[in-house]
Amino acid sequence: MPSSSEPDGPPEEPAAAPTETDTVTATTEPDSADSADSADSTEEPEAPEETPEAPAPRPVSPVRRRVALAVGVAGELLITAGVVLALFVAYSLWWTNVVANQEAREDSDAVREHWAADDDPDGEDATVPRAYEPEDGIGFLHVPAMSDDEILVKEGTGLDVLNGGVAGYYDEPVESAMPWDDEGNFSLAAHRDGHGARFHAIDRIEEGDPIVFETQNTWYVYRTFAVLPETSKFNTEVLAPVPEESGATEAGRYITLTTCTPVYTSRHRYIVWGELERTEPVDADRTPPAELLDAS
Amino acid sequence: MYGWIWRHLPGNTLVRLLVSVVLVLGVVYLLFEYVFPWAEPLLPFNNVTVE
Repeated sequence: MPSSSEPDGPPEEPAAAPTETDTVTATTEPDSADSADSADSTEEPEAPEETPEAPAPRPVSPVRRRVALAVGVAGELLITAGVVLALFVAYSLWWTNVVANQEAREDSDAVREHWAADDDPDGEDATVPRAYEPEDGIGFLHVPAMSDDEILVKEGTGLDVLNGGVAGYYDEPVESAMPWDDEGNFSLAAHRDGHGARFHAIDRIEEGDPIVFETQNTWYVYRTFAVLPETSKFNTEVLAPVPEESGATEAGRYITLTTCTPVYTSRHRYIVWGELERTEPVDADRTPPAELLDAS
Repeated sequence: MYGWIWRHLPGNTLVRLLVSVVLVLGVVYLLFEYVFPWAEPLLPFNNVTVE
């Protein structure tokens, strides 16, 4: 903590010390020592009116001095810890979003460029186009109830993937089905806070809301049919090909969104289930399906 | 502690002030770039998957 407020006065430097007498003892002490050893030849810091009890004349015992120093250092360490924690909050809730949004934007642009470049003549999503790898991103999730932004979907739910501001589909503990599979559960995870916070507003999704997944060739339109606001993080049943907790009883083409809840913690998991309603081929202009047009 | 650092910085008050600002920014950079990314997965705030 530099003694503030006089960056403009280089020659009269002892002016700062006496004005700080109301701070912690040990911080004033080094400062007065500072003025003593750096400026003892110059004029005495002629004690202004606001410091009638200038500590200099009274001799202080060495023990007292040492205790005061220790208390001062401990205080400074505590203040430092507080500042570091505040910085960590800023990092978690702001900076990681900045980084992740940037990363996701670049990756999304790359995927769209690949799609535009490789016209994938057979028009089947199941055959991966030559130009890109599935871990680059398989498509975009659109959930108008949650956000107007599209969410890039990549393979895997490790932090290395999700911290890039994307949603990931599960490889484990239960392997996700792909939207183009005849049946199964397309299961996704994304951050609730920080790192893009792609599923931050997952609690705004209600039964009946559309969830649309866009691939190179197809719009997959799902309809939300069940929400589980809180469950254990060990409840892998929610990812099952037929997620029975949602009320589903027979094999179908499901989508499952998972994230953590309540916000800012990882105590529980929030689950949203949808079932495929229809698919629509992507046209030359990539016209979105009616569900997305209505929303915007 | 900070007083000790302040006294050991070179130059006059203005130079010390500038050096302090640079030091603080350097520390913040190290925290954001290395320390926080390392600490974050160890803290129970951002695990979103079922496992």
